[in-house]
Amino acid sequence: MKLKSMAAIATTAIVSVSLTSCGDAGGEGEGGGEIAIITVDPANPYWAAEVSRAEELAEELGYEYSVGAHENDPDEQTRLMETAINNDVDGILLDPAGADESIAIVEQAVDADIPVSLVNAEISETGLAEAQFISDNAQGAAAGAEVWAEAMGYEGTYVELIGEPSDNNAPVRSEGYESVLSQYPDMEKVGEEIANWDRQEGQTAMEQLLSRNPDIDGVISGNDEMALGAVNALDEAGRLDEVEVLGFDGSNDAAEAVADGKLVASVLQPIDEATTQSLEVLDEVIRTGESSVEEEKVALDCILITEENAEDLQDFVLED
Amino acid sequence: MSAAATQEKSSGSKINLGAFFIEARALVALAIIIVIFASMSDTYLSVGNLVTVAKDVAFNAIIALGMLMVILHSGIDLSVGSTVGLTGAVAGTLFQGLHLPLTDAVMYPSIWVIVVIAVAVGMLVGWVNGLLIARLNLAPFIVTLGMLYVGRGLTQVLLDGTNITNELRGQEELGNTGFFEVFASSPLGVPISAWVMVAVAIAFSIILTRTPFGRWLYAIGSNERAAALSGVPVNQVKTRVYVLTGLCAGIVGMLQIANIRSSTADLGEFYELNAIAAVVIGGAALSGGRGTVRGTIIGAFVIGFLTNGLVIVGVSPFWQTVITGAVIILAVAVDQIQQILQRRQAQARAVAEARRESGKVPVGPGGHEGPPPEQT
Repeated sequence: MKLKSMAAIATTAIVSVSLTSCGDAGGEGEGGGEIAIITVDPANPYWAAEVSRAEELAEELGYEYSVGAHENDPDEQTRLMETAINNDVDGILLDPAGADESIAIVEQAVDADIPVSLVNAEISETGLAEAQFISDNAQGAAAGAEVWAEAMGYEGTYVELIGEPSDNNAPVRSEGYESVLSQYPDMEKVGEEIANWDRQEGQTAMEQLLSRNPDIDGVISGNDEMALGAVNALDEAGRLDEVEVLGFDGSNDAAEAVADGKLVASVLQPIDEATTQSLEVLDEVIRTGESSVEEEKVALDCILITEENAEDLQDFVLED
Repeated sequence: MSAAATQEKSSGSKINLGAFFIEARALVALAIIIVIFASMSDTYLSVGNLVTVAKDVAFNAIIALGMLMVILHSGIDLSVGSTVGLTGAVAGTLFQGLHLPLTDAVMYPSIWVIVVIAVAVGMLVGWVNGLLIARLNLAPFIVTLGMLYVGRGLTQVLLDGTNITNELRGQEELGNTGFFEVFASSPLGVPISAWVMVAVAIAFSIILTRTPFGRWLYAIGSNERAAALSGVPVNQVKTRVYVLTGLCAGIVGMLQIANIRSSTADLGEFYELNAIAAVVIGGAALSGGRGTVRGTIIGAFVIGFLTNGLVIVGVSPFWQTVITGAVIILAVAVDQIQQILQRRQAQARAVAEARRESGKVPVGPGGHEGPPPEQT
């Protein structure tokens, strides 16, 4: 974990350096000033989409910005937030590392009169952040499980690939699946493995699970990367046609796999919309001193990606 | 004279015996693991599962063989995992096409060119590691730790937040198809990575036992100063072993992106730790000078059969990690205890011999006739 966060610092440094050159364009809009964008891991396509949307909009609104990444490490998040506070930025757009872990540092920024708006994940206290635009993972998982169960014909055996246990989304998605699947008594889970959101680990786990249960009918996965690893393993075993696989995230690779019929479905978190709304609230607060949103916590519904809309999905944005 | 000769001789056979035990220990561990899991699951020793194990073991074993080379000189290479990711990213980027500077032309190298360039990048990383360690005399731990970050960072820069997936398939009109057909193939039903593991193992085994380079490497690991004084080109040998680990990492990078059919930013994370574990379980000493290709391969199989078995019998995923770690510690602890016992035995023998010697002294100057009967 430590190593990962150090690597993140290295990339962050590179990202910030390359950004300073284009950040000069700021200062023309009504807002102006500087905002800090603190995200999770821009090496991951999902957060890359979040960052690029935030950068694009920040530039549009006339802000200079810096980008930091904490890789879900609260210590690293604290360091990045403190840097932003010391630099006296005008606002912070934060994708928080942990619902409880992030409260103190958000409070610290608010105490320093710096508005913070949250995107993607929540903190377990209200009244601090200006807004919290989160994707409703439980709802998304339930929706995904529903179409997947239908594809399974509401019967058969399946295994589950689980994401990094320290990440809140892993249990939330797993429980979301469970909430739906427990209604169907003819569906039986015969195994589960942790594959840390990673494609290669997902593939290895799936190969091993296939050795143990060669006759499974389905796979549910906490994210697309692990699901695509499972697809590789099933393909190699010649069982892909008979096994239904469910992903989550709506990555480009997954969208294509859904279109090709390799995945039953994936679930898109509305990261583009959440980032847009969260940054707009932040902009409003910086300009006017207060936000017009009534409810601080807004859970945006996830969107189901199936054969029908998979081809319209590009970089986590669904074209209409 | 003859006493000294005897001692030399008996200590020589002791080393052989010790080496035998160390390897036997890893083999015994492997046998125990296989017996336990095979008795708990019918599918454990099925052909399908053995193929799965062979494939996973091969990735780790190839890296571990490279790691063995640096550990033999008492070094370490923490950057191999990042190098795996980096070479994968380089290959992926080349599949996307190279924009030639000053023109709009895009060059699409053929797959063998891509593979050679990507593996060469891995060797380059190793060469830089080696130069810093050999010429500037920097600590291998620090240099390769730094390179771990550099490599991972460069991987992220190259991939720029996306995975490279479709491009790896190549396009007929660009003439860069066929990557998966070679690097994810299974000649004779055995995954290509396992064949590569065998090839690398044979090559490294020849290097270590049949060439001056191999003898120099063991010599440096045992006593670097003595080796240097006796004319071993220490710097050259040290630099080259890091190039070899880079080569191994590059090979695994190619095999792994073909295996998962995508070049991802996280590829290869923590591979260095699995490799070190395999080398150590295989009886190598982190202090250098001791370790074999055979032991390392067995070590990799111990880890592979163990992690696979835990999944097959359905141990909770959380406990799998705990058990794997405990087995690694156990293996190394047994190794150490064995060495302590051997040292005690040797000391006891030496004391006994010294007593006998001193007992003989008064008899006269017939030291020459010392203990020849024991020379068996």
